[in-house]
Amino acid sequence: MVDVLLEPVAAGQTRFRMPGLAPDARGIAVGRETLIVLPSLDRLVGFLGAYSQECSLDELLPTMTLERGRRVDGGHALLVRCGGGDSYALDRLARLVLAVRGQLYTGSGSTFVRVRERAAPFGYDLVAAVQAGSDDVVAVEVDYAARYRSVERLDPVELIQRLSLRPIPLPLTGIAEDPELCGLAEIALVLVAPGISERVLSYLWNAQVNMAGVRVALEGERRASLLLRLRQAPGTILDVLHGIPGVELLAPVSERAAVELGYVHPIHLASASSCLPGDEMYLFRGRVGRVERLEGAPRFLDGRFLVKSEIAGRVTSPGDTRIGQMEPLKVNLRLRPSTALREPRGALVPWEQAEMLRRMIYTIPPTALSAARLVAMQTGLLVLTGSSLGGLGTGVGAGALIPLGSRLCEVAPGVLVPDGYELWPRVRPGLIRELLALDSSDHALFTGPDLPPIRLKPEHLIPLDTAMTGHLSLLEGGELIQDALPGLGSAQIDNTRLGRFALWGFGGTLEDGRG
Amino acid sequence: MSLLPQLVHEFVTPLLAGSTVQVRRPYRVREFRAMIDELGQLHSGDYTDLLLLRLRRGQDVVANPALPEPDPDELALWIGLHNILALDHPDRSRVWTRAITWDRVTSVTRSLLTLSQASTFETALVRHVSLGPFLSIGRTDRVLATPDGEERFRGQEVPRRKLRRAQLLQLGGREERVDWMDVPHAPEVAELVHDVLWTSPLSCVLSPLRAPPGYNPLIAAPFLTQRAFVRRVCYGWARSPHWIEIGGVVMGQLLQALSTDGSQSPATDAIALPGAQVNRSPREVGAIVGALIHTHFLKVLELGARLGLSTNSRDTATQMFLALPRVLPQLSPVLGEPLLVGADLSKFDAQVARRWTEYTEHLGELIPRAVVENLVATLLPAIVKGPPA
Repeated sequence: MVDVLLEPVAAGQTRFRMPGLAPDARGIAVGRETLIVLPSLDRLVGFLGAYSQECSLDELLPTMTLERGRRVDGGHALLVRCGGGDSYALDRLARLVLAVRGQLYTGSGSTFVRVRERAAPFGYDLVAAVQAGSDDVVAVEVDYAARYRSVERLDPVELIQRLSLRPIPLPLTGIAEDPELCGLAEIALVLVAPGISERVLSYLWNAQVNMAGVRVALEGERRASLLLRLRQAPGTILDVLHGIPGVELLAPVSERAAVELGYVHPIHLASASSCLPGDEMYLFRGRVGRVERLEGAPRFLDGRFLVKSEIAGRVTSPGDTRIGQMEPLKVNLRLRPSTALREPRGALVPWEQAEMLRRMIYTIPPTALSAARLVAMQTGLLVLTGSSLGGLGTGVGAGALIPLGSRLCEVAPGVLVPDGYELWPRVRPGLIRELLALDSSDHALFTGPDLPPIRLKPEHLIPLDTAMTGHLSLLEGGELIQDALPGLGSAQIDNTRLGRFALWGFGGTLEDGRG
Repeated sequence: MSLLPQLVHEFVTPLLAGSTVQVRRPYRVREFRAMIDELGQLHSGDYTDLLLLRLRRGQDVVANPALPEPDPDELALWIGLHNILALDHPDRSRVWTRAITWDRVTSVTRSLLTLSQASTFETALVRHVSLGPFLSIGRTDRVLATPDGEERFRGQEVPRRKLRRAQLLQLGGREERVDWMDVPHAPEVAELVHDVLWTSPLSCVLSPLRAPPGYNPLIAAPFLTQRAFVRRVCYGWARSPHWIEIGGVVMGQLLQALSTDGSQSPATDAIALPGAQVNRSPREVGAIVGALIHTHFLKVLELGARLGLSTNSRDTATQMFLALPRVLPQLSPVLGEPLLVGADLSKFDAQVARRWTEYTEHLGELIPRAVVENLVATLLPAIVKGPPA
């Protein structure tokens, strides 16, 4: 028959055989200390990494001791002892320890019992007292007790700092493909070897990267390396830097720690600030397998103080040269005969044909008539339809329909030339308007090869139908009633001055008054 | 100038058109008789504007009024209105005559205003066409500051010499526009105003606050059965900011008329309606009550009902008016519902029905139960079961 060493704690039980065991708020038997027995170092690292991801190692480390123990019956184990007293923290530890295949015990001093499980929801208590040696640790299970003797004491902080980094894959196509730039999107630290620091600096300066830097003396190196801090550096720049030998990109993981790109620390350092004592800065370099400790927080200098300017000449505005050197190239914009066919946009009708134009009005379709504009000039009447009239010039315009005078064509929006001519040289239509200094609603008219253009302002353009139609005289209605529909408001009393008169004639009655 | 054109052009047409009416000396009976002979001229082209204005004033009440031709009764009403204003003339004391002559003027005017009860809606409408503008007539008073105090010129220009004197003394003046009906008048003028109101039942039902004392809304009740007119009445009441007061006045007049014995006329002392037979059938009473309930419904439609009800009146008639929607379930078999509630209500109708229900429930909280019970006891038998024996 197997001897049972532990018995489940009953609900509400307050007295225990094991010294140091006490019920917590939920009635679970909890000791003052917690013992974690891990079979190997990698399990310990796994446990610490998992714990630092879930909660802060800073809660665990102050009370934590790490020992290498030898089992009396043979075998080794790593014993992690830390403060206990809370069943919630024990439950969390139990979950993590179970994941790394360790055992968790609670107790105090040198005797520890198994933590609660499904068979004993309130924990375990000893069936009988267990004798332990002075430097022994007894971990009591239900059916056996394991005795450990401490062989070596380890410093957990030193252990964490000595842990080797784990390589992680980077995007095959480069850092720029990752939206987060592998953690370098906001700030990237660049450790540059002393020999190439100047070139890297000039490259980054030319690329206008927001940077600051400081020279740091690394242990074992004669010349100081350059540590750069890049803010929001483009992914292409980071890709270039990543491929340069002697340049290491480091991603900040906490305020005082940075890990080289492509590696990750087994412990989540952001939640383990107590692992990095003092005010030093730690650079975890994976490729060379070193941890650099910088004395104090680095004081970065702005990038412009790190580079040397070698520009000797004075910057010249290109505008200065253009004015001075373009003068010999200038040519005059002039009219020249052309055989190109263009749609007529207007007609300049001489005054002698004004009467004929008046009669032609009846033949123009309504849409063309409403779109046409008329300008009275000394040389004649200008009938104008054009694309610059604000959408009115759609369809065949009146200028094309009127077989009078000389026709005008449009070489640029709002720039009219006689039919059979064009502007030479053939510059851009927009430039023609700029050269003529036309406002958005102005028109320009070239009447002949040697005559200056005429500016037509919007107030000169009169609608053709308005200009050519005579006034209609309305009959001022004698047949109408004045104020035919007056407002039906309230009347006003005008007490006409009566003066002095004799009031008489009120003696009659109304007997036979109404018909 | 002949008398009828003078009366029409200086008084009647401006009165209907809303311009300035000229008030001269009062017209005599003899002149009235002479004008009756000239009434045929009103169909000539010179009086087209008068006929058009009559029509437009009539269209203010119903869309397509069928107004009869001007007759001696209408002419008497015009002259009576003019004489009322003439009796209120500020220069009356300057007229060289005895006091008894003014009494005769009053008597003649009252005789002119003694018209028979309007038998048809058109007759009543013609009277309202003339009397309606009269009720809203205004007057511009010039008040001049003098060393002795203020001097008021009622509807008259300030005499030039007084104006010059005020300018010399650097004394100011001002103009005041007053509603003629709202300013105090001489006793005989006030009585004549009551008399003229008795002649126009439409005016009294459209402006219940101006109705003469002892007025019975049942006189106009037969006209309230006309859908076009009752719509104008309801909208007129609902448009007024004093719609609760109007409803209370109409309700008070109605309850007063119902409480008196049927054989007695409520206006036995009124000259205009001696021994008038007033309709008290359920149809007439129901027409008035239906109009009052519809006014509630219009206020619910324009979302102004709950705001207006924030002041709780202690007047019994007003409370009864407010309690009318509470007795609608008992009245609806006779009067119908303002909104047919059914399952197939559109979105707007459903919203209105919800608001109407909320409104009636709000009235239930506002009005004491005793008022509703009193209403059921007094009003309900007159509509549902007929007048009391």
